[in-house]
Parts: sequence; C-alpha cells; structure tokens
Amino acid sequence: MKRGLITWDKSEIPPVVFERRIERVRRLLADRQLSAVVVYSDLWRSNQARFLSNYMPYFNRALLIVPDAQAATLLCGLSPRVYTWIRSVTTIEDVRPAGNFAKPLFELAAERNWKRIGILDDPQLPHDIYKAIHSGPLEVLNVEGRALYVPAEDQTELTMRRKTAAMARSILADELPKGVGGVDHHFVGILERRFRKAGAEDLITLVTNGDSVPAPPAGKTLAENCSVSLAVEYRGHWIRLSRPQASAQVLSDCKRAFEKSLDQPQPGSCIENLGGLSPYEAGPGSIFALHVVLQVGGKRLFYGDTCWRSDAGPQIL
Amino acid sequence: MAESGWDRLLLYGHSWRKDFFRSLVNFNFFGPHAVAVLSKSGELSILLSHPWDHEFLAGHAGARLAWSADFRKGLEGFASGRIAIAGLELMEAKFTSAFHEPVSATAAVEKLRRIKTPEEIEILKQAARLADLGYRHFMDTAQVGMPEYELVAEVEAFLKSNGAEDNFMLIASGGTEVFGMRPPNERRLKRGDNLITELTPQVNGYYAQICRTLVLGDPNADQRRSFEIFHEAQQAAQSFLKPGVNIRDVARVQNDVFRRQGFEEFTGSKYTRVRGHNLGLHPDENPYVLEDVDCVVEKGMVLIAHPNTYLPLSGYMVFGDTLVVTDDGCVSLNQTEKKLFSKEV
Repeated sequence: MKRGLITWDKSEIPPVVFERRIERVRRLLADRQLSAVVVYSDLWRSNQARFLSNYMPYFNRALLIVPDAQAATLLCGLSPRVYTWIRSVTTIEDVRPAGNFAKPLFELAAERNWKRIGILDDPQLPHDIYKAIHSGPLEVLNVEGRALYVPAEDQTELTMRRKTAAMARSILADELPKGVGGVDHHFVGILERRFRKAGAEDLITLVTNGDSVPAPPAGKTLAENCSVSLAVEYRGHWIRLSRPQASAQVLSDCKRAFEKSLDQPQPGSCIENLGGLSPYEAGPGSIFALHVVLQVGGKRLFYGDTCWRSDAGPQIL
Repeated sequence: MAESGWDRLLLYGHSWRKDFFRSLVNFNFFGPHAVAVLSKSGELSILLSHPWDHEFLAGHAGARLAWSADFRKGLEGFASGRIAIAGLELMEAKFTSAFHEPVSATAAVEKLRRIKTPEEIEILKQAARLADLGYRHFMDTAQVGMPEYELVAEVEAFLKSNGAEDNFMLIASGGTEVFGMRPPNERRLKRGDNLITELTPQVNGYYAQICRTLVLGDPNADQRRSFEIFHEAQQAAQSFLKPGVNIRDVARVQNDVFRRQGFEEFTGSKYTRVRGHNLGLHPDENPYVLEDVDCVVEKGMVLIAHPNTYLPLSGYMVFGDTLVVTDDGCVSLNQTEKKLFSKEV
C-alpha cells in the first residue's frame, strides 16, 4: 500500500524546520525576482513538496505554490472532503481544488497580480501540466531542484533518514534469519506488518535466492544466502537497504566490499540517487544508496546501505 | 496503429502509473520509468531506467532490451517517425521533448484496455477473491482501541502474504463527522464506529476492489437505514448493468435511489466522488461512473459500482462490488455477503 500512516509528528519535525526551508525559498524568489515558485507533487514524486510543507498525497496530483510574501497554497486533485485532513498533517492552510492545474494557477496569479513565476524542475513537470502552464499568460522560469531541495544539507532530513535506516536495519536483522525456508510472499507480509506498525508509509521488498538480481516476490522458498533489498519510506524520508542472509563472516566480507566500493565503485555495484525528485533513480546523488554484490558458493549476495556525501566523504546513514 | 498512421506506439509507465506499460509487457518494474515501444512492423523494444530491471527481464521478454539512467537519452533512440504515446500526459516534459510532435495514444489504449480478455478476467477473479479474504481479515482483526494504521498494517501483511503485489486501500472510522476516506491515522477505534474501507489488492498486475462498512457494536437505526439506501443503490446498478447501457445511466440509477429518499444533495461532488469506476491495471480506471460521462457498456468490462457518499444519517458510508459485464447482464466477482457488517465489542 502506498501510503500507510501519513502524519506530522511535531516532535520529530518542528514547524520551525519548515519555516527555515520556506525562508530559503523566499530568498531565492527575491534573488530571481519571482512572485512565487510552483512545486509539483504526486503519489510518487512527493519529495520536494514534502520537504517544504510535509504534504504527501495518497493519490492524485497537486501543485504547491510558495509565494514571496503570503502563505503557501496547495492546488489539489483530491476532494475537498479530505482538506481538513491535509491541513492536519501539513503546514498548509490554503487548499484549493484543481482538476485542470493551469486554470487555478492562473486565477491565483491574476488575483495577486503575479507576472513571473518559477517552477521547480520545470522540464520534469508532467507533459499535460507543462503544456497548459506554458501556454498561459505567465512568464515561467525554471528553478533547478537543487536550489531548494537540499536534503544532504539539512540536519532534520539527515536525522530522519538515519532514523528510517536504523528502523530498517533493525527489523531486517530480526526477520531475515527467520525468513529462510519460508515462502517469499509470507516473508514480505511479515515485513509489511513490522514496518507499517512502526509508522512506515511505504515499503517495497525485493528478494533473490542469489540466482538473479533482487526482484518482487514470486512465491519462491527463500534459501540460505538469499538477499533482501528494501525501499522504505518513513515520514516521507526514503532509504534503501540490501542484506543477505549469511554467516557473520560473510556479512563482514560484504561490509568490507561495501566500504571499498564507497571509495571506488566495484564492478557489479549499483548506485541510486535518493536526493532527487523521485525516491530512487539510478545514478549518483548527495544522498545515495550503494549496493554491492559478493559471489559466495555460486550465489550472488547483495549488500547495500543509504549514505550521504559529507565534507569528510561518504557517510552511512 | 495502421489506421492512425503511427510508426511507433510507446507505452509509458512510471512508478505510480505502470498500467500502460504493463498492458503490453506485464513486468512489475522497480525503477522510476519504463517504456515499451511497438513498431508498425510489430517489433517490440523495452527501455528501462534501473539496471536491476534490465538484468531481471533479460532473456524473458522476447524483445530488444535496453536501460539508461538518462532516460531522455534512451528515448532518443525511438524518436524517428510518427510517434504516439499512451501515457503521454504522465511523461515528464523533458522526455516528450525527445520527440517531434508526439500524439497521445492514451484514450485509444484505454479503450482497448477497457474490454478484458477471458485471461484477464480470470486474474481479476483471483484479485477479487483476495479482496474478499482481505475483508474477512479486516473484520476479524478490527477491535475497539486499535489505531487505524495498525489495522491497515495487519490487512497489508495478510494481502502481501497471500500474493498481492500491491493494495490500494482507504479507510475511515467514526460517525457523522466522517466525510470521506483517506489513509489510516492514529485514531483508535471506538464502540459504535462506522468502520469503512475499500480494499483493492493487485494480483499479477490487476486490481479488484471491495467496499464494505462494519459497525463496531450493534448498528443503530440510522446506520441501518443508511445502509439500506446504499444497498438498494448498489443493487440498482448491478441489476441495470449490461452491454448497451450507458455508464451515465449506471450512475443515474444509483443516484435516483438517494433522490427518492430525499438525499439528492448528497449525490454531488461536495459529498462524493464517483458512483464507481473501471478496474484493471490501474485501481481507478476510466470510465468513471458519473451522470455526465458518456460511455456505452460492453461485454468484458470490469468495474466497481459503489454509491459511496456522505449521508447525515451516519456519515460517509461505502458499499460496492467488482462486476464483470456478461452477455446479458453482469456478475459480481466478490463473494463477501452484501450486508451491513457488525462486530460484537
């Protein structure tokens, strides 16, 4: 299920965190002489709007609009019947219905006399919204994502990702040894229960018995030296984790191979960007996952963690 | 493709909307993007965005496979000729700019997908069966004092343990203050609650849905009266649905039940969304069952009729079954009893 519990625990992310992030937006708007910046959000591409407002949709699309002076507005594809709920889990008070996103955006701009706006990662807007906005009366400038969405420079973001990674390592360390000999679907069900009860919003589990890369469960029995690769979202913060079921010695070998690959990626390793607009894309990033492969007894064992690039080099979260 | 003069048809999917891609290549990809490219001579190519997807599919697909972390660059290899894209609207603008004036094949492919083959209906039957079992588990597990999200965790665990790829699920609990469903929250279930849910497990790519209402404790008179209206409305849709009727009338016969009871106000968008929708590789497919939607029903369509709405009697209530259109009517793929469920607490 995408997503489970969506909430805003203000002891984890105090409102001042969002205020600081919005301040950064406003500085950029002033520098670039823009009246507002528009941030696209959907069920999957929610990182940027979540970073600025804690808005994470469970379905449909939305535009978060952060003006230079007023409070943010959410143009939302969801029904007004859930706006009370949206207000309860985000910093946003002004939520407006939107089927066609361009029209309400232009109305808002006309209402406030905006002529020039920015769009975060404009070329990555969905085609229909891009065409509609660019055929309208506003001057639209691209604002590159890294100007406003900077997870690796944000202590709260790093803390939350560390918390997510620690949760994932702990649950997987508990459950993986018990999973061997059972059917992969059943194992995935056990993980779902554990992670969802711990408050995870989303969980994607890939498994392999070492004869392929990790893949969705297919009703196979998990064998010794199987590997599990997780994507976990907690409070909107994604991490990736891969672990094999193996002896302490083999795990130690995997860890060494991982550390070696952190310095210099080894053949067969896989790098994913977790600091972009989607949860994980192949390629490097300021927050990234690295997965390495170790050959043991003719089987491929997968080991990976989520890291960030600090001034002192890559650090495991 | 021949009729439309397309040289290539691209079926695009991203992590949220894999359905167009999976309508041609039923592969549950993990990376953020995938596209299946069909040439007019029938040659199939697949472009993926994650190396693990590429390696896993290699040797299985009977197609030319490639992957690229730079998906835009990968698309450039398919840019020549007249290009049609199913899922064009979902694609990032920087991807569509790889093509010269691509046309949308979204509506055309949706129309093709709307009528299910016997094989697809068999898979949907499995998904509906799992929805029934999931709802049974939902009822067995729900108890006073349990937070909504823990109940959802249990249901999710059950469905995944039983082979669901995914599940689209909404929930709400409470009384007349409940205006709609949403993801689970930390509210603890109380005696007398309406506990409403829609479960939509995905099996082998295909989603089937069930909507039911469970009362924790003995239903009161308003809850019973409310359910009778929902039951009559859903039954009206199920009795009416057959090849040749229009979707707008499937909505109308449901709304007429509310109108006759003096609740017309609650058939509009302020209180409800749709009277149902098509099902398949996406849990919320076109056509939506609404009085302003013009679409003639055909044999092989699979849709849910659910008159879900708010009523002042007992708040938002849900009730619906997955229906497959047959030669002369429709049959429900769900086997869960059609009643207002209650549980002793």
